[in-house]
Amino acid sequence: MYLGIDIGSSSSKAALINENKELVATDLINMGTGTKGPDETISNVLRLAKISRENIAFTVATGYGRVTFSGADSQITEISCHAKGVSFMMKGVRTIIDIGGQDAKVIKVGNDGKVKNFVMNEKCAAGTGRFLEVMARVLGCKIDELSDLADKSTTDISISSVCTVFAESEVISRLASGAAIEDVARGAHLSIAKRIVGMCSRVGYEPVIAMTGGVALNSNIVKVLSNELESSVITAPHTQAAGAIGAALFAYEKGI
Amino acid sequence: MSELKTLISQLENIALNPGKSVAKSVKDTGKEPIGCFPIYTPEEIVYAAGYLPVGMWGGKTEIKQADKYLQSFCCSIMRSNIEYGMKGTYDGLKAVIIPTFCDTLKCVCENWKTAVPQVPVITVVYPQNRLLDAGYQYLVTEFNRIKDEIEKLKGEKISSKNMEKSFSIYENYREAMRSFVKVVKDYPITINTRTRHLIIKAAYFMDKKDYTDIIIQIVNELKNSSAENFNGIRVVATGLIGEPVELLNIFVENNIAVVADDFAQESRQFRVQARNKGTAIEKMAYRIVDQKGCTFLYEEVKTKGQMLIDMVKESKAQAVVVVMMKFCDPEEFDYPIIKEEIEKADIPMLYIETDMQMDSYEQIRTRVQSFAEMLG
Amino acid sequence: MENKITSKQMLGELLEKHYKSAIEAKANGKMVAWATSICPQELLETMDIDVVYPENHAAAIGARKCAPEFIEQSEGKGYSSDICSYARVNMGYADIQFSEAENIPMPDLLFCCSNICNTVIKWYENLAKNLGIPLIMFDMPFNHTYEVPEYSVKYMRSQIEYAIKKLEEITGKKFDFDNFAEVMKLSNETCEWWKKATDLAVNIPSPLKGFDMFNYMALIVCMRGKKEGKELYKLWYEELKEKSEKGIGPFRDQEEKYRVMWDGIACWPNLSVTYKTLKKYGINMVTSTYPESWNVRYETNDLDGMARAYSSNYANRNLEYDVQNVSKLVRDFKLDGIIYHSNRSCKLMDFRQYEVQRRVEEETGVPSVIFDGDQTDPRIFSEAQYETRIQALVEMMENNKKAGRDK
Repeated sequence: MYLGIDIGSSSSKAALINENKELVATDLINMGTGTKGPDETISNVLRLAKISRENIAFTVATGYGRVTFSGADSQITEISCHAKGVSFMMKGVRTIIDIGGQDAKVIKVGNDGKVKNFVMNEKCAAGTGRFLEVMARVLGCKIDELSDLADKSTTDISISSVCTVFAESEVISRLASGAAIEDVARGAHLSIAKRIVGMCSRVGYEPVIAMTGGVALNSNIVKVLSNELESSVITAPHTQAAGAIGAALFAYEKGI
Repeated sequence: MSELKTLISQLENIALNPGKSVAKSVKDTGKEPIGCFPIYTPEEIVYAAGYLPVGMWGGKTEIKQADKYLQSFCCSIMRSNIEYGMKGTYDGLKAVIIPTFCDTLKCVCENWKTAVPQVPVITVVYPQNRLLDAGYQYLVTEFNRIKDEIEKLKGEKISSKNMEKSFSIYENYREAMRSFVKVVKDYPITINTRTRHLIIKAAYFMDKKDYTDIIIQIVNELKNSSAENFNGIRVVATGLIGEPVELLNIFVENNIAVVADDFAQESRQFRVQARNKGTAIEKMAYRIVDQKGCTFLYEEVKTKGQMLIDMVKESKAQAVVVVMMKFCDPEEFDYPIIKEEIEKADIPMLYIETDMQMDSYEQIRTRVQSFAEMLG
Repeated sequence: MENKITSKQMLGELLEKHYKSAIEAKANGKMVAWATSICPQELLETMDIDVVYPENHAAAIGARKCAPEFIEQSEGKGYSSDICSYARVNMGYADIQFSEAENIPMPDLLFCCSNICNTVIKWYENLAKNLGIPLIMFDMPFNHTYEVPEYSVKYMRSQIEYAIKKLEEITGKKFDFDNFAEVMKLSNETCEWWKKATDLAVNIPSPLKGFDMFNYMALIVCMRGKKEGKELYKLWYEELKEKSEKGIGPFRDQEEKYRVMWDGIACWPNLSVTYKTLKKYGINMVTSTYPESWNVRYETNDLDGMARAYSSNYANRNLEYDVQNVSKLVRDFKLDGIIYHSNRSCKLMDFRQYEVQRRVEEETGVPSVIFDGDQTDPRIFSEAQYETRIQALVEMMENNKKAGRDK
């Protein structure tokens, strides 16, 4: 068996691939680098596959915690892993949007699942999952409730501040002056989408466009992004584990 | 080979410890130092007057006092320089020369007068219409004015003999550097990206004559061994400055070697060969007239993109790396233009944003490693 | 039937005419130039080239809240959000070539003058590269000395002569020096009326509402060398003069309680809210650095004088001049306070602002505030932050007034 582990800033994901290059199991834990999250998610995925650590032929780590994690045979960036993982699960994908907690990236991939070009956000939380966390807090909802809220929006509101801190105060004053929270939620989504569209233009995006990462579970963002890009955006299967799956596939290639 | 290693580590240490290195150069040469801001300053005049020109390309320091003058969205090199100036790091300088190549430098120069009153400032404005004869004449006048100011500082005239001598020391230095960058691209293991940068940077803290002697030795030593078999990725780098050094470590870790550069701090300083005719000052002015593809010197038709593409071909590189100093307007304006041209030429390109006060390299590590994976 | 047109109507009509006639000119095969706001337009006017000004156009797009589309276009191509938003809007427009706010024809020629910043050099260099058209560059070296040095004047004068030669080459027409003299004379007269009109704000109360100046400014850029421009500012002057003689202040429903100066470019996307917040507290912006910016005056046919006048723009002068200039405005206009716009787009203005603020305060004792904003990018300005700062300024100004009354 081949193990891929994706250690992010706030979550850890693991995936197993067998000798026939089939996906056997995936797992996710909401604890990231520097916690016991990585070890736990590995234990979980092993339990799911009913195997023990000795059965692992090769392990590849990815994500921000990949360099400090000592339990892997090799480490590869999440850019290459997302490209690998998504291309394995979906045919014909040319552009991958991955919005993580701290980072957003847009990756252009070739036929072979290899990275052709990529861009990442600059040192700023605008356009990342962190921005949504802040917005959810201000709106007094859970982060996974944002999507349903935004779906109910009837009026366009734009949140113009790029800075997360300023956007927070802008939202507060919008709410104070009577804006509906549904509209503000959608406004926040639009604000992220605009940052992502800019990154897509920089990389030179082409369809098919797939989205990975936790934010891809927010169906309203996916919708808003599709609108802004004028091209449909598909949420990748195992969207949060795409990086771990890619890592497992690299483990398979390296270990075999 | 061990002689080579000693020379290399000597220069590396000098580049890594600017304060100590300048103090040592001052002691060894008995010359007083004059600070020279980026991008170009007429160092030959400073040298001819018997002063030691010292480069002032910022550094990592906590910004506390500089906030009195500059907002947070100001180029970090300039914030560092003002900070160092205000906290007294530069008190040993006889003067600083600040050229105004961009809007930020204009302001920094003006602020310096109040912020660092203990170190006098000499301003230089380089003409942008340098291809017109009037532009060239203006620059000659400007250089002569600098000469007057430095003479006043020194209390004596600079003889034309000393001017010529200084100019030829600088031409020798530049010729040695052109040969250095040409030769080291065949030795990317011994002279890796980090070492290459540090060796070039050391020139800013030494007497140019002493420095040139070491460079010539290094080049000769290298030529004695055969070209190195490098299986990593060869790149052409561009930008204002290839720093911080931690960034270069990441390149080395990922087996990426800079085989040619267009950094303002590096090759742009020495890639132009002087003309033969004229006085030293005239030849200095012509070097600015003859510079091509420099972000800070106006071109009616921009040539940088094609220049980088040609450099990739000549140096057999695989890709271009853009090291962008955050808030450097001129470089930021050039980027979309070169991006389009380089993409059209089907050359992969990596864009990295840096600043002097950086302390987290995780995202950059991911970018560089991904890029290496993409090309590997 | 006496139906006298007001200057406000005239301004509207002329602006419309300015944009419309440029588009018509282009359609009729006439040459169109894009130029920077304080460039020696006299040369283009003499050559009968239609000129439009990307800075004004970007401001118009910004004021009508249409900037984001163009900003996103530029940023998508790789332009950093840190660079001048006029440049980002204009370069985005050069790609999209249509805005619901206002349209300008694409240029056949670019005309750039660095007396306002070095940023325009890079911006126009990029336009020239992308559009593949000629660019005439006027380099006006920054004046680190108080006055413009003579060798600098010589360099600039040569560039005027060179530009004339280039224009003759590009148009295939001879440069008409008699016509040039006429245009110079007219441009000076327009500037004079502009200055005289804006100077009427020294009166208490000021007949001029400062935010009107932001609107009237459009044509001192675009029609400086045309007789309509001169007529407009003369009419405006007469109206303000009459108002002033009758003792009429800036607001219809309110008194002018505080007189302030606005340093920097307007926040075009937030023009209304920045204005209303001031008005709420009875603040009238009576002046800025703009009246002097377009007071470009010299003797007809004196090319050295022309070069010197254009190079003397405050943006091209040293800090000492800035301090003296603002302090003089404080005294002449009897200001109660100063509002400094830390405009994310304009590093040249920003990075001197802190020191100018300190020294002007030392010299005049007038209180001031700095707020963050941007000339066209709506993502920087924060309404709540702005109001807090204005309120703080009012409190300081009120304390000063009270201290004055108690004396």
